[in-house]
Amino acid sequence: MSSESIDIGLPKATEPASLAPILGKVARVVFRVLVVCFCLTPFLLVIAISLGEKIEGAAWVWGFEFTHYERFFAGADWPNSYSGIYLQKLWYSLYYALIAAPIAVVTAFPFTYFLTRLTRRAQTVWLIFLLSSLSLSEVFIVMGWDVLLSNRSGLPMVLRELGITDWMKATGWFDVAREWGLASPRDLKFKTSLFATVLTMSYLVWPYAVILLYPALSRLDNSTVEAARTMGAGPWAVMRTVILPTVRIPLIGTTLLLFVFLLGVYVSVTVFADPSQHTLAVSIYGSVRGSTLNAPFGAAQSVILLITAGLFLVLSQILVSYAEKRR
Amino acid sequence: MTRLHWSAMIFMGLAAIVLAMPIVVVSAAALNGGRTMLFPPEDPTLARFVEFFVSEPVWRTALYNSTVIALGSAAIAVLAAWPMAYWIWKRSDTGSKALAGLAAMPFALPPIVFGVGLGFMWAFTGGLGTIWAAILSHAALFVALPLVTISIGLQSVDRAHLDAAATMGATEGVTFRTIVLPQTLPYTASGFFFAMVLSFNEFIVMFFVSSSAFSTVTLQIFNSLRNGFTPTMAVAAITFITVSVVAFSLVARFGDLPRLMGADQTRD
Repeated sequence: MSSESIDIGLPKATEPASLAPILGKVARVVFRVLVVCFCLTPFLLVIAISLGEKIEGAAWVWGFEFTHYERFFAGADWPNSYSGIYLQKLWYSLYYALIAAPIAVVTAFPFTYFLTRLTRRAQTVWLIFLLSSLSLSEVFIVMGWDVLLSNRSGLPMVLRELGITDWMKATGWFDVAREWGLASPRDLKFKTSLFATVLTMSYLVWPYAVILLYPALSRLDNSTVEAARTMGAGPWAVMRTVILPTVRIPLIGTTLLLFVFLLGVYVSVTVFADPSQHTLAVSIYGSVRGSTLNAPFGAAQSVILLITAGLFLVLSQILVSYAEKRR
Repeated sequence: MTRLHWSAMIFMGLAAIVLAMPIVVVSAAALNGGRTMLFPPEDPTLARFVEFFVSEPVWRTALYNSTVIALGSAAIAVLAAWPMAYWIWKRSDTGSKALAGLAAMPFALPPIVFGVGLGFMWAFTGGLGTIWAAILSHAALFVALPLVTISIGLQSVDRAHLDAAATMGATEGVTFRTIVLPQTLPYTASGFFFAMVLSFNEFIVMFFVSSSAFSTVTLQIFNSLRNGFTPTMAVAAITFITVSVVAFSLVARFGDLPRLMGADQTRD
């Protein structure tokens, strides 16, 4: 009797020996192994295969050689001749992302600020709209801009009908447009051009920019803004001295994440960019499944893209932890 | 709540117009009588809708595959995300955090790299070109989304309820069933919808995993990119945007969308 009364209140550590805890532990281990299998193995395989050996006219075998990396950095014919064509593709990947990501963040920032000032209900409606646009497949978005920029029913047609094209021809702006690659000898044209590529890419990540900036801006302390206003600061002064300093880190972090996202964009580049200005993503596709069929080289290019993306992700992580430490 | 300046409202209106423009143009292009994407549409007809949903087996099969893969992968993603989110919440040890970080990796890195890797992996295991390989691949790609929403949900579980349950002698299992699960249900559902909608629209990973053995709607469009877009594809765009709007409206209806997106809870 007495031993039972002592037992009350203590956890029942000595349950009759059952299989349940052991099974639970086994399930836990199996689950972890599965997560590692699915989320890590593909990346490890890409790295391993990038060192493989391509056999002319056939597939490839496992190996340990750096020829594919050599080819990436110096061309296929190295050391007889040098070609930086793949480095150039990497540069275009960075170049488009470098222009499109800041454009998206700069235009999304004021929008998000206004959005967070709205009522909760209005915010919800906006968020549904933004999330629907964000999740819409790149193929549909490119489809839309393809029509909007097409010669027959898009922006060139609108400008022609409005007489702006003729006005540009009369004033010499048309020649400027030609120099920028935005016109054929007779008419304005946006396919293919840097303008169309960057426009579509910015559009693609714009809702992401809003969603990423949203938490920081909606937690912005309204009282400091109001205090600054009461003390006579104008809207621009408030923006510069109160709002921007507090959201500086999220702004940079968002730009970096969008940048990484844009490195992998495929359809916008194939449709809107000139073939001589295609990116690494397009080249990977060509090597692995497209015309050239060289899996190890495709894998090597993937590794380069992976490292590039990883570097920027690590950078954004460092930024976030730095910001948290200062808090 | 401060009232917005008129210039702010104009800016938001302009943003809405630009955001909606490609979607509106594509939707209108679905009405084209001919084979080219013209705007405004020429001799409007609804024949493209019949083609997409009824008469052309290519699109019907693709839509079926898209649906199966989206629903299947979202369900698996939610099931896999639950224990990971729960472990972080319960113990917050390094191992659990590392596991979650690993699970988020495919979503954070360029999808083309993950797709290439999955292509190799399924080729070795013999799953290349099968629907179940596609389902598992998308589950791995999007598990990060339910992981985030469920984690947010777990943080909102009322600690007082947990303490009460513990004092009354409830085991971990009972507490989980009666308190944790019901209170996080909207967040679980949100995670499901996020994963579902994104899987529905994804095509790059699907391209490498399907190996031309089958195709989904977006993959079908991607594969015929070289031949240009057709009005039938525009019907697909309308279908997809509708699914997204419905899914996110459901999330907003049964959950708190601003909070899910990281808004401050103390306001309003």
